[in-house]
Amino acid sequence: MKTEAVVKEAQVNTSKQEYIEILGDTVVPSRILLAVIISVIASIGGYFLGKSIFPQIAEAKMVSSYSLLLGIGGSVIALIICSKLFKPSRILMEEETSSEGLEEILQDLQADAKSEYELIKNDPVTKKEMEELGILETFKRSGERSQ
Amino acid sequence: MSVLMISILFALAGALIFTLIGLVSGTDETAIIVPFTLLVILLGAPPEAVFSFFMAAVLSKHLTHAIPTALMGVPGDTTAVPLIDHASALRRLGVPHVALRKMLSGGLIGAFIALPTAVLFGQFLGQFADFFKSASGLIFTLAAILIAYFSKGKWVSVLMIVPFAFFIKSIDMFSFSVVEKHLSISFFLGIAIGPMFSDILVSLSSSARKSLVRSAPKEYHLAPEVKGWKGFFPNPFKVLTGRQTAHTAATSFVSSLTFAFSPVGMTSLMGEIVGSRNKGVYKKSTSSLAAMNGVTESTYIAEAIIPLLAFGIPLSPVALGPASPLFNAPPVFTSDPVNNLHNMLTPWEFFLYGLIGLVIASIIAYPFAMNYARTATVFVMKHISQEAIVGMFIGLACLLAFHEAGLVGIMLTLTMATVGGLLNRVLGVSSGVQFMIFYGSTYMITKLLGA
Repeated sequence: MKTEAVVKEAQVNTSKQEYIEILGDTVVPSRILLAVIISVIASIGGYFLGKSIFPQIAEAKMVSSYSLLLGIGGSVIALIICSKLFKPSRILMEEETSSEGLEEILQDLQADAKSEYELIKNDPVTKKEMEELGILETFKRSGERSQ
Repeated sequence: MSVLMISILFALAGALIFTLIGLVSGTDETAIIVPFTLLVILLGAPPEAVFSFFMAAVLSKHLTHAIPTALMGVPGDTTAVPLIDHASALRRLGVPHVALRKMLSGGLIGAFIALPTAVLFGQFLGQFADFFKSASGLIFTLAAILIAYFSKGKWVSVLMIVPFAFFIKSIDMFSFSVVEKHLSISFFLGIAIGPMFSDILVSLSSSARKSLVRSAPKEYHLAPEVKGWKGFFPNPFKVLTGRQTAHTAATSFVSSLTFAFSPVGMTSLMGEIVGSRNKGVYKKSTSSLAAMNGVTESTYIAEAIIPLLAFGIPLSPVALGPASPLFNAPPVFTSDPVNNLHNMLTPWEFFLYGLIGLVIASIIAYPFAMNYARTATVFVMKHISQEAIVGMFIGLACLLAFHEAGLVGIMLTLTMATVGGLLNRVLGVSSGVQFMIFYGSTYMITKLLGA
């Protein structure tokens, strides 16, 4: 067991890429640092730029608001730049309609196929809705099978 | 330009921005809504427009966060966590699009019930406002103890109240000696971005990073989507059955009154109640989802409006989190003394400008989520990296802190983010507790130390 764990750890260390999880999504450590630096520079840079050019073209009391807007502009540009520079590290699987058996699903949800179908039979509103979705048949079949 | 037009424009901006942000799964409401609302306030928007913006932002974000919840089984944000079980049951039955539609329709109904209920109830509670205002320091302190006990950290959160208040006052005194004004936006931003900032810090620490290291990128499973109606704007009352509409309306109404409880807690509770009254996997899941998403909307809206309208001091979890800038954003809004939307808007204006926000969000976010859920999710997942998003929010926080107090502001924000974020992540002292301690810190330290 011990050796296996060591081997696993070594594999993790030598594998090409390490990810860290921030706010529920994975990122590459060096990229997140760069992204933060780019964004801070762009937004505060925009603010400074505004502070230096707006006094010549705008009313004095609006300078600070306009500079803030330019700062936001900077952070949006940073968002676009960072999205171009750093591709998302996510794996997106586009699934087809689930092919799981209904029995298995019901079992996981601790429901019984027969009583499920009984409930649906006696409830015209739900029955109609499920019929339109095309899932009534599956429920009917599994309900009858378990009888 | 009239105030009405400005409000409509800001509501439009709020709806557009947050319709897109809602697509990003797992985003923390406080970290995202606080900086944008502060920006709108500091840009000099009239109070009516600030309120419309906030309402549009909250509803849009909640409507679109139903998309990752239903189609990927990943909670759109913390309030969506209780919905995951029912959403994945429907996903496994092969009808994730039904989960999405029921959630969206429930959310819409919940929002429009919460607004008038909250305005009326807030007006009723307003008669006790003088008492609340005169005792605000004590109330903040007691509330801090109460919500600390109910936070993840439990007793450690209670234990941390006095040291954290001492810490806040100390850096407040020091920054005061440099910039000669008391800062608060910088404190706020620090608490708000704390969790994501501490994640970055942990990832940089060679001793602590192991807890966050993953050997592979996160996998997302996107379910197919089937369009089952004609036209662009499906009628929410037709998407839900009569019984579901009734259950959603009733739970949304009740949860509009319980403004002091946590939105996630109310959502779970109401979901349980509705779930127990509907039998059969399909019916139970669809009914619960509609009601629960209605409750997340109604608690959010009511928890922002009621304390704002009645007291002007932040006395609910939402008022301490995402809605906090509406109470306190010096120099424009302050909560001690009360000089914020509480004094600036009449109950009728709360209703009117709130309605503007909700209607605009419904026109934009609802049909968008109904029609383009899958396309939009694929775009965001493939093109917008988490790096860029986290970077943008930390950039915005630094910008706002710099706007308040230059380099001192940035240092204060990053210091707060470090201490607050680690307390939050490691000890479970949640941001709500930290906000409450911030509000109560002056009272506590004055009483304890006479300083």
